[in-house]
Amino acid sequence: MDNGAGDDRLKTARAEGRGLPLKEGAVPLYDDDRIDTGLPLKEGAVPPYDVVVIGGGPAGLAAALGARRAGAGSVLILERDKRLGGILNQCIHDGFGLFLYNETITGPEYAERLAEDVGREGIRTETGAMVLDLGADRLLRVNSRSGYRLIRAGSVILAMGCRERTRDMIEIPGTRPAGILTAGSAQNLVNLQNLRIGNEAVILGSGDIGLIMARRLTYEGMAVKGVFEIMPWTNGLERNVRQCLMDFGIPLELSSTVIEVRGRDRVASVIVARVDEELRPVPGSEREVRCDTLLLSVGLIPENELARRAGVELSPLTGGAVVDETFMTSVPGIFSCGNVLQIHDVADFASHEGFAAGAFAARFARGELPAGDKVRLCPGRGVRYCLPQTARTGTANVDLSFRVTRPLRACRVTAVGRKSGKKYFGKKYGRLLPSELQRVRIRPAIEEDLEVACHE
Amino acid sequence: MSERPCADPLTCILCPVGCELEVRRTDRGLDVRGNQCEKGIGFATEEVLYPKRNLATSVPVRGSETIMVSVRLSDRVPREMLFPILAEIARLRPEPPVRRGQVLIADVLGTGVDVIATRTIGSERSPRGDPPEV
Repeated sequence: MDNGAGDDRLKTARAEGRGLPLKEGAVPLYDDDRIDTGLPLKEGAVPPYDVVVIGGGPAGLAAALGARRAGAGSVLILERDKRLGGILNQCIHDGFGLFLYNETITGPEYAERLAEDVGREGIRTETGAMVLDLGADRLLRVNSRSGYRLIRAGSVILAMGCRERTRDMIEIPGTRPAGILTAGSAQNLVNLQNLRIGNEAVILGSGDIGLIMARRLTYEGMAVKGVFEIMPWTNGLERNVRQCLMDFGIPLELSSTVIEVRGRDRVASVIVARVDEELRPVPGSEREVRCDTLLLSVGLIPENELARRAGVELSPLTGGAVVDETFMTSVPGIFSCGNVLQIHDVADFASHEGFAAGAFAARFARGELPAGDKVRLCPGRGVRYCLPQTARTGTANVDLSFRVTRPLRACRVTAVGRKSGKKYFGKKYGRLLPSELQRVRIRPAIEEDLEVACHE
Repeated sequence: MSERPCADPLTCILCPVGCELEVRRTDRGLDVRGNQCEKGIGFATEEVLYPKRNLATSVPVRGSETIMVSVRLSDRVPREMLFPILAEIARLRPEPPVRRGQVLIADVLGTGVDVIATRTIGSERSPRGDPPEV
């Protein structure tokens, strides 16, 4: 936008739910009557696809397979990148596949194997296809290699993954030089584009991608000066702290953060400081660390723009859709799985969720609609969130995901009926960490609202 | 603490569970605790005596600076071999087509372990120089 008036127009357009402002007299972008779709859109017409999956990463590929194996006749995966696999393609490190394939392989291998399964099962895939809009009526507006077109689906599975939080979102003061990257961007540049991103790096945040990149940059001959984490615990998996930092003597400083970036054209140094219990920098603890690169690994956000367009209810706790035990969102026929639903630590679990969501989506497309009243599954003491957020009464064997609010030792997780006080689930844990997404199965049929809590 | 010569508790890196292992030296060898599966015992023993790691990196294919083939080792190697092996891999310029699982360096530096490709790259290039789609 070139001036203030333009900004206002953009704001108005956003408020109205449109992507771009329209000039006076301009034809609206989404005027269906003016677009020759070649597809039947009349009432009662059969959708051309039983199940359409948005996103071809670990969750989306698995969702398509899940749908197909559950009997969906026609399944389509729409992937905006030029190849399938999503973020797996740049995750060249090993540690994938332990649960799905019972061996440890790298991201690209995992992606290729899943994509091969998809090919074998006659699932249609379209790369270079960007879904521009999704309606509650499961009408997708797609910009594809064959042009702009509309696709109608019996059910839609959201599997768009997530984005990284950026410097803007955590508001680090200082100059705005080159050399500040998210860990995932750095991973893409180094692993897929053969670029050297700098000589000396500081990593802010201890998410898994940041830890993996600390090792990767060390391999590439860069000096990693340290990983700084604002929380008193690490955000990544314990094994990554071990094999990516400790193996190479890279210091990890907890309860500390970057409070200023210095440098004019390129990052010259960062100022780090310890933080107190309220996460405020402690005066006098500041120190300057020379570096030319700052990587950010400060959290992931489910990418739910399309879900919002369709009117899907989102959870402020997960950033993803509110779903029931079939992974169906608040909009009938729209399902969600993988990192767009909740942030996972392990690709295998995102796929696992995909397989399940796919099977339920296939049933919905066939007209097998789940019946029953919904009860709520609520996080209680010590639990940050649990998922699914709702379930139909009488459902047994509900798979529940949850994260704890802080590291806990020798604790007990319970799911208790709010009305009856009946214990539906109980398990002891030696150690629970906020960085680890836990999954458990509630075996009894759920008859009332449940509270999931963790007691030390 | 006197009973624990292996100063820090070890974190098992074989799967995402990341069990915290406690290793004690006893008369009958190493005593491992905290493992939730059998693999933990083997890992702890190896980690104390002879730590091993896998390695993953990527190299451009021959005739290109941007088409990358990612690689890993077919098995874990002693940790001190990581950087010497990285130097070997850095010289590698595989000729496309490359198949996933293809051995690019056999028995690298006499470790008995191969460097293998972890993705498939076709032989034809698109006009933009992008690798053909998988």
